[in-house]
Amino acid sequence: MSAEEPIRGVLVAGGGIVGWSAAAALKRRLPQLSVAVIGDGAPTDAPAELVAPTLPSIMGFHEDLGLREADTVARAGSALRLGTRFEGWAKGRPPYVHAYGAYGQPLGATSFHHLWLRQAAAGRARPFDLYSPSAALAQAGRVPVPAGGADGSAQPEYGLTLNLARYREMMRAFALHLGATERPGSIGEVRLDPGTGFIAGLALTDGTEARADLYVDCSGPSARLRSALGGGFADWGRWLPSDRLLLGQSAPPSELPLLDRVEALKGGWRWRSASQRSAAHGVAYASGWMTDEEALEALSQSGAEADSAALPLRQGQWLEPWSGNCVAVGDSAVCVEPLEWTNLHLAHSAIDRIVSMMPGRDCAPVELAEYNRQSRTEGERVRDFIALHYVAAERPGEPFWEAAAAAEPPPSLAHTLALYRERGRLPFHEEETFSRDSWLAVLIGQGVVPRRLDPLVDALSEARAEQALELHEASVAAAATGLPTHKDYLQALTRPARP
Amino acid sequence: MAATKMANDDRQRVSVIIVGGGTAGWMTAAALAKLLPTRCKVRLVESEAIGIVGVGEATLPHIRAFNERLGIDEAEFMAATRATFKLGIEFRDWGRLGDSYIHPFGTFGRGQGIVDFHQYWSRLRHEGVEVPDLEQFSMAIAMARLNRFRLPDGDPASLESTFGYAYQFDATLFAPFLRRLAEGLGVRRTEGRIVAVDRDGETGDIAAVVLESGERIAGDLFVDCSGFVSLLIGKAMGEPFQDWSHWLPCDRAVAMPCRTETALTPYTSATAMAAGWRWRIPLQHRTGNGYVYSSAFISDEAAREALVAAVEGEPIAEPRVLRFTAGRRERSWVGNCVSVGLASGFLEPLESTSIYLIQAAITGLVELFPEKRISPVDRDEFNRLIDLEYDRIRDFLILHYHATERSDTPFWDYVRTMRVPDTLAEKIELFRRRGRVVKYREGVFLDASWIAVYVGQGIVPEGHDPRADLPSADSLARGMETLRAEILKAAAAMPDHRAHIERYCPMAEAA
Repeated sequence: MSAEEPIRGVLVAGGGIVGWSAAAALKRRLPQLSVAVIGDGAPTDAPAELVAPTLPSIMGFHEDLGLREADTVARAGSALRLGTRFEGWAKGRPPYVHAYGAYGQPLGATSFHHLWLRQAAAGRARPFDLYSPSAALAQAGRVPVPAGGADGSAQPEYGLTLNLARYREMMRAFALHLGATERPGSIGEVRLDPGTGFIAGLALTDGTEARADLYVDCSGPSARLRSALGGGFADWGRWLPSDRLLLGQSAPPSELPLLDRVEALKGGWRWRSASQRSAAHGVAYASGWMTDEEALEALSQSGAEADSAALPLRQGQWLEPWSGNCVAVGDSAVCVEPLEWTNLHLAHSAIDRIVSMMPGRDCAPVELAEYNRQSRTEGERVRDFIALHYVAAERPGEPFWEAAAAAEPPPSLAHTLALYRERGRLPFHEEETFSRDSWLAVLIGQGVVPRRLDPLVDALSEARAEQALELHEASVAAAATGLPTHKDYLQALTRPARP
Repeated sequence: MAATKMANDDRQRVSVIIVGGGTAGWMTAAALAKLLPTRCKVRLVESEAIGIVGVGEATLPHIRAFNERLGIDEAEFMAATRATFKLGIEFRDWGRLGDSYIHPFGTFGRGQGIVDFHQYWSRLRHEGVEVPDLEQFSMAIAMARLNRFRLPDGDPASLESTFGYAYQFDATLFAPFLRRLAEGLGVRRTEGRIVAVDRDGETGDIAAVVLESGERIAGDLFVDCSGFVSLLIGKAMGEPFQDWSHWLPCDRAVAMPCRTETALTPYTSATAMAAGWRWRIPLQHRTGNGYVYSSAFISDEAAREALVAAVEGEPIAEPRVLRFTAGRRERSWVGNCVSVGLASGFLEPLESTSIYLIQAAITGLVELFPEKRISPVDRDEFNRLIDLEYDRIRDFLILHYHATERSDTPFWDYVRTMRVPDTLAEKIELFRRRGRVVKYREGVFLDASWIAVYVGQGIVPEGHDPRADLPSADSLARGMETLRAEILKAAAAMPDHRAHIERYCPMAEAA
């Protein structure tokens, strides 16, 4: 027998998308656990619960749960998304697309972007987007299913734009189906064991007490449970300037776009995205540079109405998201502005990490330390990627943007930028969320070019490289042929399968 | 857009001076000449009067990528260096006297599940089920134990895709082999002993090396491949040496080759001895042997006698002693001087990392190859990458000494009870508790290597991943038995290692 006791009972605090996703994943992948969600509804201040666009990693999360697109797309009213169009981030430059999946293909041992940069240095580059199959499909309004180009080239990837309320209901029903239970009542007091510092139990407002071996805090930025245990919080405000979030809705567009739109404003940025039957909008901004009224104005310029008053946003992460018998997930652990849509992704990643690193009931410090190290590293690299958009922005004459571009980046981002600006190389990092091509899409899209070319591109003659670029551009342009439109694909999913 | 000038014209080419012509020197020369022909001019200075150390006879699978990138034909290379195949390393007497385990180049189990195979294996043990040793579930180990070899299968569904391989070769023949290649690519070789190194008074960079003949060889970038003497980065630049001998106390080796009179094993052996360990590396024409020891715990004479007594064949040379200190230069690239191989540091050949570290430095140099005027960005990134390599290998090596129950000699008492780096202590504790292996993507030894050494040296997980509890014990045990039988059958159907070599890459002349 094992020397120690396993965790058997889990309480999830927070009945939103994150809480129910955690419950479903724990029940699905560790069915021996008993899992209860304290179901006082979804947190109302958590970006992961409020922001509709999601990253392609959500598809893998669904696959591990055994959820199919009939559930996650058709039943939940989601739409597909292939990337984001960025407008106004570098003045004088055209909008750029950060699409998922590959940009170009390596030629021998030389990665594609070095070839592109050489063309750019010679003044002959075509827009970088033209080498992204996902961007091309989005342009053509076609969706990449069945996945993969005909020539077996890099497979386009997509995320979902969620209809948040319906998606939460779907996930809740699924978790309940898997055997998770819902415990009514909201949390009153978090009782600590004075000896161990662990959570001893939760006093609920209905007068009952709830106890478990492990407490999973999905309560949103307030981190209702995790904050009771104390510990350090890294504040990222000086690199990620938005401290307010205003959300809104409008009538859905007649045609569902495959890209959402993110536009720089004088003190922040606004987005618009659409799922089936609703269009979600938002403004993330720095209150020192943009008032709530101005944000509201920015929302209505997009034809949207605000859902409620603006929410405060404090960006940063707990240095130890897992402390004792309490692990914080999603915005409870790490909270960032929704630029690049990482809030729900970070929650999924934490849930996967909990499943694969589940300790014993004693929650041994050595096991938690490794969990926390990975979480912290992941959070910091997401922070870096978001901060990149600001550091690399160019809006001369606008004090907010000039300050953002002049800010000293975090050391890991400074290292990345130094190496890229010098020679077009992106350093490898553990726990990196965004691929090298994602970093390049933003860097190149915002006009950051290296001082010199990588020497290894010399091995390829310019004629050969040019030919490869042309062929690749043509194959990307042809990628949409034969693929369904977004609308047809969604309709086909909704139709019952033929017998 | 920033102006990015092409650097193709000759004046822009970086003039690279490589000092030392052993394995490190010629590997560097060949790689630079092959991969960056338009960016550098390579000149190598070596002296025939100075011998090469050439202890790096056993390699890691990474060497294959290096050879491939240089366009080296495998069979031709193996014939020229009298190479054999290597599926892993056998460790004898490490955890306890009488133990034997193999660190395989390959996975345990099929290597395809979400949960690591050893977690299921641990779980059955925790339930009191009799399960075979973990090594029964490794294709590479089964082949090694039966002296079989065949190239891996490309189909990931096949069991025969679950192993990798490296080579055991004669390092004194590898350098000449690469020299032919490098000279064919335009590398200029200069014979001569270096008597002085001129440094720029202002920058401290190396301006030139001066030969005994009086010739002064100037360059932009100097690569120190001078071996233990560390002529440039150590002596001339004065980069401090970080001494790791409190963790890795072996500081000498006595080496003596012999005829191969036993079966030609597709693996290297490392047998623990009273004050260190002994290697056995079978090549086509001979077997390399050596005793790596700590002079604080045994005399040279006693070590020599112990080696001679243990060698399993007729000796073909006199025993030869090498001296070293475990550790490394604090930075591998300083100013315009990059060190590669023994000049940059030394870690004992317990896990065959010498040539790997050379390769890592060369890969870093190629990928971060500088301009004439060297940017600190290139240099710092190179040093960061090399730091990672050294630190991880260091911890892995220390593990072999520390994870032992041996208390039969003062040497083993010392290493068993010494304080290890915190990074390693945490790794061991994580594995002991629940079989967790600290995961990283960048670095040389991945999960299976750590698992093999932990389990092989008696660190058996007390708990397991709860996901391993999902299948029924019966179906799990049945599945394991099927896997074990399949592995054994597949290995037994493969050709004998020697027979495969004789067909594929026989050396030109008999020894």
